[in-house]
Amino acid sequence: MRRRSLLLQVGIASLLLALLALLVNNLAVNLLRTGLGLDFGWLGRPSGFALAESALPYSPSDSYLWALTIGWLNSLKVIAAGLVLATLLGVAAGAARSSSNRLLRSVAGGYVALIRQVPLLLQLLFWYFVAFLGLPETPIGDLIRLSNQGISLLGVPLSVEFCAVLTGLTVFTGASIAEIVRGGVNAVPRGQWEAFRSLGLSEGLGLRRIVLPQALPAILPALTSQYLNLAKNSTLAIAVGYADLYAVSDTTITQTGRAIEGFLLLLISFLLLNLLISGGMAGINATVLGRLRRSR
Amino acid sequence: MNRWLNRFVTLLLTAVIGWGAWSVIHWLLVAADWRVVVSNLPLYAVGSYPVDQRWRPLLWMVALFVLIGITLLGPRRGPLQRWLPLLWIAMAPVGLWLVAGGLMLQPVSTRDWGGFTLTLLLTFGSGLLALPLGVLLALGRRSRLPVLRLSSTAYIELMRAVPLIAVLFFGQLLIPLFLPPGLEINRVLRAVLAFALFAAAYIAEDVRGGLQAIPPTQREAAAVLGLSEWQSLQLVVLPQALRTALPSLTNQAVGLLQNTSLMAILGLVELLGISRSLLANPVFIGRFLEVYLWLAAVYWLACTAMALLSRHLELRLDPLRSDR
Repeated sequence: MRRRSLLLQVGIASLLLALLALLVNNLAVNLLRTGLGLDFGWLGRPSGFALAESALPYSPSDSYLWALTIGWLNSLKVIAAGLVLATLLGVAAGAARSSSNRLLRSVAGGYVALIRQVPLLLQLLFWYFVAFLGLPETPIGDLIRLSNQGISLLGVPLSVEFCAVLTGLTVFTGASIAEIVRGGVNAVPRGQWEAFRSLGLSEGLGLRRIVLPQALPAILPALTSQYLNLAKNSTLAIAVGYADLYAVSDTTITQTGRAIEGFLLLLISFLLLNLLISGGMAGINATVLGRLRRSR
Repeated sequence: MNRWLNRFVTLLLTAVIGWGAWSVIHWLLVAADWRVVVSNLPLYAVGSYPVDQRWRPLLWMVALFVLIGITLLGPRRGPLQRWLPLLWIAMAPVGLWLVAGGLMLQPVSTRDWGGFTLTLLLTFGSGLLALPLGVLLALGRRSRLPVLRLSSTAYIELMRAVPLIAVLFFGQLLIPLFLPPGLEINRVLRAVLAFALFAAAYIAEDVRGGLQAIPPTQREAAAVLGLSEWQSLQLVVLPQALRTALPSLTNQAVGLLQNTSLMAILGLVELLGISRSLLANPVFIGRFLEVYLWLAAVYWLACTAMALLSRHLELRLDPLRSDR
């Protein structure tokens, strides 16, 4: 039995290796044929393209590497803001779906049912072309200014593209988070609510001490995968012209023809990003659950 | 909830909904111009498919609608029900034959495929490729053989780390680089391959969830009955695992249909792509809202139909259902 499984493994391994060798061989042949080779020297050359928005100073004479870094920062900006807003919206909508107010309940239900069945890309185009580019010039007091050139919030200018991507990601991910929150809270048996109420605990205290400690272990892992989805979905920003990591990579590859190297860099960037998000969430998971256990 | 707060929320929501409804009605009556949708219906359906051949994709889509109708509303038993699975499986090759041509039909190049037809073909094609690949990956990840387990896990985790648009973009760029020189495959096929490779990683995780839900006693019982490992997998474990995974597989299928819209960014004229080129036409300039509402309705209906079909399948496969 052991011999057979060992033989089988060797067979599978050699099959995989042969497939890999064939692909790599084809790749090498094609790279030689087109005279490209594998090389990262182009990262230091000036990019020659402008970026509509950058967190740090950037000009077309800066290197490709710096352009990609700016793309990274733009991605991080929209992802970080999206995570916070989508969580707020999702928790609010999830809570609204189990509210005692029937109208509020059905509005939240309609939001989830509508948003989850329409492609995110279509929603992004809607937010960009219809909602934000159609904004009339409306100053609301001195602190908030809306116009189709962008939004100024407490003196901080936000581009239309950024607002459209952020709104699209928030609304789309919020609907999924709402379902997760509702599912997690519903998974706590009704008897638990009745029990803490009959003990005379207030709603807030009961929610914090009784319901959430039981709901969170189910909610947090699903929330992590939604956060990862949001990060990956942020690459659709290219459709509305927001200069995120993927958009900059796309332009870079089109200009240099370095598809393989570009793909490797993008792959590494996203592995890092995923590690950052799942690592952060694992930390939050441990702290939150630990604190909840201690306080019980 | 506090009674007064409850009333206040109801009042506030009523006001917001009323204001929204008023703006929508005002827009519909005064500003909306549906010519961009109404006069281009054939384009949304089949794209730039040759005009004299349009009946072919249209016939396929009508057949699909009829089949959905029969499945959802038709009689619960009888000969028709027995033939339904076969008809469903036949839809993909028949559709490909009708759209691509060959075998007595005039061939039509993939360059001319478009509209909702292309959206459906991309979904069907990549879904059919991704399902077996996903099942294999799921089995590989649970295998006792470390080589198989590690390589499946690495594939699944790497694929799930990358955004779909990157997979599609590099599918268009890189698939030709990995093929022997001289062997070229067209854009649509490249897109189907990239979608399938991507979706397989997600399907694998759903199937793995289904496999984990099967108690080990099932395998033991199959072994006691004298079934070989392969037979037990094929007859006992996989049918149950796939049935358990059906709801999450449906979500993947709905996601796949929605995600075909990403090909619009990469230049295919599927439903969203054809709309983008229509909006670039000076005659229809600025008619974004009409087009997007129309597209949202089409996607919403298609996704809802898929969810209903899957619900129907779940009920049919339920072993505890009484009327079998």
